[in-house]
Amino acid sequence: MDNIIEVKDVTFKYCNSEVEKTVIKNFNIAFKRGSFTVILGKNGSGKSTLAKLLNGLYKPDSGDVLVDGVNTKDETSEIDIKRKVGMVFQNPDNQLIASIVEEDVAFGPENLGLEPEIIRERVDTALKSVGMSKFSKSTPHHLSGGQKQRIAIAGILAMKPDCIVLDEPTAMLDPKGRAEIVKTVEKLNKEENMTVILITHFMEEAQNADRVVVMNEGSIVADGTPKDVFCDIDLLKSVNLDVPQTTELLHRLKNGGANIKTNVISIEEADEAIARALHLEEI
Amino acid sequence: MSEVISVKNLTYTYGGNTPFVNDAISDITFSIESGEIIGIIGHTGSGKSTLVQHLNGLIKATSGEVLYRGKNIWENPKKIKDIRFKIGLVFQYPEYQLFEETVFKDIAYGPSNMGLSGDELNKRVFEICSLLDIPNEYIEKSPFDLSGGEKRRVAIAGVMAMQPDVLVLDEPVAGLDPKGRADVIKMINAYRNTYNATVIIISHNMEDMALLADRLLVMNNGKAVCFDKTEKVFSNADTLKSIGLNVPIVTSVLLKLKEKNPNIRADIFTVDKAVEYLLGIKAEGDKNA
Repeated sequence: MDNIIEVKDVTFKYCNSEVEKTVIKNFNIAFKRGSFTVILGKNGSGKSTLAKLLNGLYKPDSGDVLVDGVNTKDETSEIDIKRKVGMVFQNPDNQLIASIVEEDVAFGPENLGLEPEIIRERVDTALKSVGMSKFSKSTPHHLSGGQKQRIAIAGILAMKPDCIVLDEPTAMLDPKGRAEIVKTVEKLNKEENMTVILITHFMEEAQNADRVVVMNEGSIVADGTPKDVFCDIDLLKSVNLDVPQTTELLHRLKNGGANIKTNVISIEEADEAIARALHLEEI
Repeated sequence: MSEVISVKNLTYTYGGNTPFVNDAISDITFSIESGEIIGIIGHTGSGKSTLVQHLNGLIKATSGEVLYRGKNIWENPKKIKDIRFKIGLVFQYPEYQLFEETVFKDIAYGPSNMGLSGDELNKRVFEICSLLDIPNEYIEKSPFDLSGGEKRRVAIAGVMAMQPDVLVLDEPVAGLDPKGRADVIKMINAYRNTYNATVIIISHNMEDMALLADRLLVMNNGKAVCFDKTEKVFSNADTLKSIGLNVPIVTSVLLKLKEKNPNIRADIFTVDKAVEYLLGIKAEGDKNA
């Protein structure tokens, strides 16, 4: 099967005594095995709810979510589905439970009932994947935010998931921590062929993704390559999202009369485009 | 201009007399003029939050002192509460501290602790709500029925309602979407302009700092490595990168261009200024062509 996760006609509502709010509406999306997808959207657009539907933390009110062909409503497969689709959340401090890094990473595989030697091997491999091997005996609360978040990712990797869903994993981190997480995630996708679904507010984190999906009011409003999506400035602004500073700069130079290409996100490409348009090498 | 806050040789040591002794901040000295917006940047664990908690006496320094308008804030320890009304601190994720039944009561909590009541208290709350565009229909709602961004604004309004002379905000935009960030930044500007307040902001977002801050205090491992005008700080990209920070993206683009052509200026850190500057170069080029 090509798709690791398929979301079919899903609707999801939150209910309390007074109001009923539909947060996901007739939603359809499929994630290809080994792909790297970034999901963007303002607060309240339904991103986190979607994330929780993907591994059965929430069950759809109507429609189906299939993980590797198995419906998340099938209660007998619940553990298998949660193992296949791992989740990383925003706050690293809420996700670490043990007092030693390697014990924290071992928590998942221990709960799978694996043999000690296999657990050892998985913990070592997972810590190596996120570049934290030398901290295996450290105490989590002595680590930086970015390091703690990498331990949280290692804890998921030790379960050998097919897909990892990260819900704003960098929101609480400093620029260095953010860069560490993005690098780790990109590496897992490229080198270990892990399917990655990354939810974020930071446009720069999306530039190397295969696909960018923009959500608004519980529906998809854009779905394409990062360049296609980010160059639609009007659309991004209409759903209250930021335009990457590079793209905005080039658009405004073009509006100011410069003959310049605008479908650019990375700093290197922006630099090339400006240098060419303004003949800067020749000055 | 007059000095509002002056920090002298401030040091705070965790775990003194234990093997884990560690200086969270050490020997920090700086002073802030009335009406300035000061940004504090630094990697996680660099001591930013510890530093600002000294400013209103939530933490007492191991050595060194904090002066508010020339007086040591601990001169009369019984009066430290008054200092906390003058120097208002908004914590990280302040929406977690909402607790009252209605938005009105939550915003009124701070001012009522200052001794305000009745009409005076109502006036305070409505004044801040109208300044910050918090709609009237929210006033009687439970704060827990609001969206994340709205909760954040109500929580910040609760501190602003005390009308502090110095407003200190620890990561006020963390975790918000672009619209939420813009709303909070607008609130901060409105507050400062209306009450001539001094503002101190901790943030990891260099682009927001570029738009807001007059001067930046850069922290690394508990030390203040630099305190200077925002443009000066951002023109030093290598130093910032070496301590886990960065410059705004638009500045990175100009720095790259500068590698190609040494005549390019890189002391520009907002998109507006960069567009103006680059179009200026284009106009020059067109004239000469």
